[in-house]
Amino acid sequence: MRSSLNKKNLEVKIGGMRLKNPIMTASGTAGYGEELSAFYDISRLGAIVLKGISLKPWQGNPPPRITETPCGMINSIGLQNVGLKTFLKEKLPFVKKKSDVPVIANILGNTTGEYAKLARSLDGEVEGIEINVSCPNVKKGGMAFGLDKKAFGKLVGRVRGDIKKSVMIVKLSPGAQDIAEFALAAQEEGADAVSLINTIPAMAIDINTRRPLIKNVIGGLSGPAIKPIALRMVYQAARAVKIPVIGMGGITTGQDAVEFILAGATAVAVGTATFINPSAPLEVLEGIEAYMSIHGVKGVAELIGGAVTGCS
Amino acid sequence: MNTRSLRSASTDTDTIQPAHLFKARVKENIKVSGRFYILKATPETGFFVPAPLPGQFFMLGLDRRKDPLLKRPFCYFRVRDGALEILYRIVGKATFLMRELREGDRVEVLGPLGNPYPLPGWGKHKKPLVVAGGVGIASVFPLLEALKGKAVLFYGGRSRDELVLTDELQGMTSELHLASDDGSAGFKGAVTDVLADYFKDKKKSDFIIYACGPNGMLKAVCGMGLRGYISSEEKMACGIGVCLGCAIKTRSGFKRTCKEGPVFDMDEVVFE
Repeated sequence: MRSSLNKKNLEVKIGGMRLKNPIMTASGTAGYGEELSAFYDISRLGAIVLKGISLKPWQGNPPPRITETPCGMINSIGLQNVGLKTFLKEKLPFVKKKSDVPVIANILGNTTGEYAKLARSLDGEVEGIEINVSCPNVKKGGMAFGLDKKAFGKLVGRVRGDIKKSVMIVKLSPGAQDIAEFALAAQEEGADAVSLINTIPAMAIDINTRRPLIKNVIGGLSGPAIKPIALRMVYQAARAVKIPVIGMGGITTGQDAVEFILAGATAVAVGTATFINPSAPLEVLEGIEAYMSIHGVKGVAELIGGAVTGCS
Repeated sequence: MNTRSLRSASTDTDTIQPAHLFKARVKENIKVSGRFYILKATPETGFFVPAPLPGQFFMLGLDRRKDPLLKRPFCYFRVRDGALEILYRIVGKATFLMRELREGDRVEVLGPLGNPYPLPGWGKHKKPLVVAGGVGIASVFPLLEALKGKAVLFYGGRSRDELVLTDELQGMTSELHLASDDGSAGFKGAVTDVLADYFKDKKKSDFIIYACGPNGMLKAVCGMGLRGYISSEEKMACGIGVCLGCAIKTRSGFKRTCKEGPVFDMDEVVFE
């Protein structure tokens, strides 16, 4: 344990949600908390973001679902999930028992009505609800909402009405031409925060078999390969809105996380890095603390959006 | 249904050790033959390697590089003199780089992971029959040790060079049947053809099968009306059940190779 002299304030706020540190898991990289809790105490996270859920269970896409590319990976899981009922009955009670940190559910539907029903059912059951309008791996819904500003605004506005107790987060698509516009639209429709980026549509081909390496042909790219793009988008979004921005995309170290915070993120999520090391979120947290010690930073809040303009 | 009854009859599942992430130092990295190598790595600072069970696997990474980024899954081969040994075949970027590892180099390991082969507790009267294709031999190697020389082994590969450790295997089995694509060792052709021939004058229900190898081989084995287990080889990102990347089609939907497998009941898996 650190001495109190050295105590740093890592606390951040996302809407009404108080996080003891700015580290979250990225949806789809932490399951429902069961597997990771075998490796570390998930209560040490700032918040835990669970695998996306839909109204009914989804079986996901046929394999092969993943392939590695330089400094990254492409996935097309297709939102395989247990569905709302099992989530509420089995998965949520488990994660709540295992941790005392805010739990954020990620929801995905084919229609606005499905999003609304999920939101209603989860409102107050979880501390936060992340509206996934940016999954590249499902046919209907998902990214379709994230790229059409009109449909996007309508969806966010409608779901807002169904979330009364939980914090509402909208997960933006990196496919947006102008990310600031979408962040602003989310704010205008009443979102409490935006999170970004989701994976970037990508593909890879096996030249020996001449077949795509992902059965679905196109999947979502994640990992360090996308970090500079994610950082740029977080910066643009954060400059456009007043609501908190949750940054993610290729974060594997504390330095990466500090970059996102300096770009304007209030909190950050660790995703693909968890696949390499289950405890990656905690290592990132320790990296942030080390940075703060070296640079004499007392609170994370001092760093948010602290990137000075002009080149170094 | 079958899985449950077979699994509960197994005495191994309750001794599965929890997985750990640990650094290890390369002790030796030797070429066996063809594209096969054995990597020996000793966990750092006296970390105790929990005893892995036949059929389990480890994720191994070249100490936090960004490219290759992810760890790669390798079957548990053996632990000897405090070192974890991995039998691997060069197939892609990561294994190509693994070949370059020298004594003292650091690797990062996660494991042991996954479910082991259930030993034939429920059918002691049944004769164990093991089928291996290519690098699948690494997975069944500790199983053959556990079966204490009672198993019949059918082992297929591309050529003589790619059929490794055959002298050792001879001593670990009651019968060894080899097959190679080019005919340079054993039968010329598919190992499953040798297997089919073997059953010409035998009752299939007298045997329990264990198989690990390429999907085409597993599909053929599963189509022969036998009972037993296969170990599936799928691409994996995490190895611990969170990425859902290693899904395999089963009668009850997609299952994770890393978590519900890699060992599955033969009746359970659906081959496309």
